[in-house]
Formats: sequence, C-alpha cells, structure tokens
Amino acid sequence: MRTRQFVITVSVGLVLSTVWAQTGAKPAAGQSLPVPASSASADALLNGGPGAWSQIAVKHVALNRTPPLYDTDEPAPPEIPSLDVRAARSGGKLLFQLSWHDPTRDAVTLAEVPNTPPETRFRKVPTEADDRFFDAAAVMFPEKSDINTIAPSLQMGDAEHPVEIYYWNATRGAMVMQAQGRSTTKRTGKPFPASSSYQNDRWNVIFELPDLAAGTTVAFAVWNGSQKDRDGRKYFSVWQVLE
Amino acid sequence: MSKHQYAMVMDLNKCLGCQTCTIACKKLWTDRDGTGYMYWNNVETRPGLGYPRQWDRIGGGWKDGLLQPSPLPTMDDYGHAWEYNYEQRLYEGKKQPVMPSPEPESGVNWDEDVGSMNEDENYFFYLPRICNHCTHPACLEACPRKAIYKRDEDGIVVIDQERCQGYRYCIKACPYKKIYFNEVTGKSEKCIFCYPRLEKGQVNACAAQCPGRLRFVGILDDPESPVHKLVLVHKIALPLFPEKGTQPNVFYVPPFNPPKRDNYGKSIQEDPRVPLDYLIYLFGPEVKDVIVRLEAELKKTQEGGRSEALQLLIGRDAETRYRVRPQLVQIQL
Repeated sequence: MRTRQFVITVSVGLVLSTVWAQTGAKPAAGQSLPVPASSASADALLNGGPGAWSQIAVKHVALNRTPPLYDTDEPAPPEIPSLDVRAARSGGKLLFQLSWHDPTRDAVTLAEVPNTPPETRFRKVPTEADDRFFDAAAVMFPEKSDINTIAPSLQMGDAEHPVEIYYWNATRGAMVMQAQGRSTTKRTGKPFPASSSYQNDRWNVIFELPDLAAGTTVAFAVWNGSQKDRDGRKYFSVWQVLE
Repeated sequence: MSKHQYAMVMDLNKCLGCQTCTIACKKLWTDRDGTGYMYWNNVETRPGLGYPRQWDRIGGGWKDGLLQPSPLPTMDDYGHAWEYNYEQRLYEGKKQPVMPSPEPESGVNWDEDVGSMNEDENYFFYLPRICNHCTHPACLEACPRKAIYKRDEDGIVVIDQERCQGYRYCIKACPYKKIYFNEVTGKSEKCIFCYPRLEKGQVNACAAQCPGRLRFVGILDDPESPVHKLVLVHKIALPLFPEKGTQPNVFYVPPFNPPKRDNYGKSIQEDPRVPLDYLIYLFGPEVKDVIVRLEAELKKTQEGGRSEALQLLIGRDAETRYRVRPQLVQIQL
C-alpha cells in the first residue's frame, strides 16, 4: 500500500510540478485575478446581496478533480467544472465571493449541545446521519508573503512554504487552517468571517480574509458532500495571482 | 510492529449474553454527546446481523497487500439511539406508558437470541466484540491524516483526537467496523483497550465487570500471561476472520457448548450444536484443530487427569485471568 501511495504521490507530484511550472515566477496571463477596491464596506460585501458585488467582474476559474486515493473508492464523475470568483478589497480586508453549481445541498443543522455536564442532561444529543459528508470550500494562500517569486506546492504547501487555508464547511462553519504539505493540516480553531447562501442549485459563499498584497498567489477548492468528498478528495484550482 | 502487544482472549463457551461488559464500557467511555449510538464493546447474537448490521459481509481489511475499503455503514445499520419519555411519565404526571423514541427499528443486538436452525434444532451463541488492536491495522493505514497510531509500548491502537478530521476512511477500512464517527465533535472514536486503566494496573472495564469470567488479558509476548498460554502454548484461541489480513489481537475460544442432548460418546465434530461450517466462517479452518485439542483436554479430565488448559479456562480468580500490572510492560524477551 505504501508503494501504491508513493506511486500516486509521485504521479500527482509530476502533474502538479507541471502545474507549478506554469504558476511559478511568471504566471500565465489567464491566471491573474482582478481585485478592485470596492466602494462598499467589508461588512456590506460580507453580508450584502448581489448588489454589493454586482459591479465586480466575475473570473471563471477551472476546477480539477483529485485522483482517487484507493482503487476501491467510489468513482466520482466531475460534476463541478468551474468556480465563479469575485474578489474585492475594502477597509483593509480582502473578500472573495465563490459561487458554484451544486445540485445537492449537503448540510445539516447540528443539535445544540447544552452547556451543562453530560451527567446532568436528561437526554443525550442524538447523532445525525453517520454516512454523510458536507459541502465545503476553501481559499489557500502562502503563509509567507515575501515569496512572490515562487508559488508553494499546490498540495497544501511544503515544509519551506507553509500555507494558510481559510476553510468553510456548510455544517461546521468557517475555520482557519495551516499546512506544510499533504496530511499536515492543522486546525487553528480560529474562526474567520464568512457567509453563505444556497439558491437555485448554487452555493454562494463569501470569505473575509486579511488583505493580501498584489502578486500573492491564491488557490481555491470545493468539496461536494454528496460525492463523499473530504480530505484530498475534492475539486481544486491552480494558483491564481492577485492583481 | 510495537515492542509489546496487549491481547484479550474471550471464551465463548462461557458468555451468557448479559451485556454487563457492554454497559461497563458504555458508561465509562461512550456517555458523551454524539456517542449515543456507539458501543466500543458490544455483544451480538450469532448467527445474526451483528452491529452494525452485516458488518462481517460489507468488506474492509486487506487483500493481496491492498486495502479493501467497504461502503460506510449508515445510521440505520447501527440503529438510532433511542431514549425513553421518563420525564413525562415520572415527573410531569402524563398517563401514557414509558415508550422509546424514535421508534426502534434496529439496535445493537436487535436479533438477540434469534439464532438459526441446525437439523431442526435452534442454536445460537454470544459474540462479544471490541476493537481488535490489530498488528497490521487497516484503519491506521487508511488514515490520510495519520491520526491513528499503534502505541509502541503496548500495541494499543488509538485515534489522536487533535489530528482526526472525521474523514472516516478508517471506518471503511476496518473489517470489524469498530470505529465510530461522532457527528457532534466531527471526529472518529474507538475502543482504547482501557489503556488508562491498564497503566494503573487495573484490567479493562469490560473484563473486570464480566460475571462469566470469560475474558483473559495480558501481554501476548509475556510467557507468564494467560493470553500467551491460551493462544501460543495451548493454541485453543483464534482471531475473528483471520483472512481479513489485519492480524487481530483479540482471540476467541470457539463455542461448542452446550452439548446436544444425545451426544454421549460422540465427538463435537460428529454431532456439533453449532455447525462447523459456521465456526469455520468466523474463525477460519483452524477451528477444527482447536476443537480437537479442546476435546482431548476434556477427555483427559474425564479420565481423572488434570488439564492445565481447562484449569486456565475456568479462570477462578483475577490473578489467573489477568496479568496487567504496569511493570509487565517492561518484560524482557
């Protein structure tokens, strides 16, 4: 199995190193992401309806499907080919609006855990369905802002090039993560401002990040819960360069 | 491979299906939010569906060196945890009887004592199950987060709750389905072989509470331990589904009691209560050799001799059944 994983890792690495080469010091023109300064406030962008974002151009970002980890994984035909991204700066914040087509809304409302010791509770919180996974999305960028000349590995960075991941989950909310390569993700437990809505078979999720300098690379990922996506089983974009 | 390996032997001839072990474990470890449906230790009636339903048939484990992940069991397979309306009945003066809610449709030992038929005679036996703390754990290999590890000092397999992100690859990989997902915490949980008790020199809660005294606990590579003697010296205990390739460290003395009514003079193999095919299904073909050995030991005592293996299986006191003092981890091989 280790050999197989090694082979997969190497092959993924080869694919990604090609991508990396394309996203290195001189990104292709099509991979730049316009970031206009918005006249709307950060709060309005975060919570506002389409009006707050309507003036900002949409960038269609192509998504790739990660290869399966095991031969026995259920096949997941690519259902989400692209992501509509809008970016804006406002009030020292960087906001992203990610929108994508997903015919199934995979989210549940978890029962509130009463703020009392378990032994004093009359009823235990029952678990929801055990075999469900939830829709999610993430924005990843290099932790070190002074490495504009080279983009970290798309596989969640590496030891020399750690990444920050702003992860939003339809059930569990928004959380900042850090990683230094595959399987090293650390949940910081730190939340960040995010909002989401689901209408007409589309997710519309807004992320509020601290401002990032022009030239910083960002990458996006989307998980489709009904395809049992979690972990590296997801859709991902190549690096985009902020204008 | 860990330096030492804790192991458990369960004598299925002695299990009376009382679920005391289940409750001991449940109250100690799975009395928290999100663990309502979880039983790190369960006792199921065999033949039967088991918990989760059909766990023995949906897959998992290893084949030709490759992981064979199965589909995830659903909550219907586990059985939703139900509660009773005690509050209304006992405190609010409502007249309706005590009723479970939600309506039970399956459960941890749903087909209790149903069993099956062998030549028009019903048979069943009880199968207590915990995590097998395998030597070659499929769950550990399947975890992309490396959140599962096997403790070097005692071979106990645990999940690092800090690293776990609830991906559930481990549940798919485990052929025994002994890992559970806690939806409240978003992480997976499993039997920890009561290592905090063992570290204090106390035996596992399931073993300590067992009124049938059917559990034996010790370090497999400790020549003085009962598990070493039963598994490696007398060779009368076998793991469940050895063909799954995970090398479990929980072993069972296969059931052949009670004898059928008219079996005087007949061997267990000639006139088995539990069909041999079924025992072979559970424990592999070696179960036949184990029965031959057990019969030879029985015969020895019936002829006035003494059987060390049967004396050990009787397990009169805790000193015989357990060898878990912390210093035993330091044994020299």
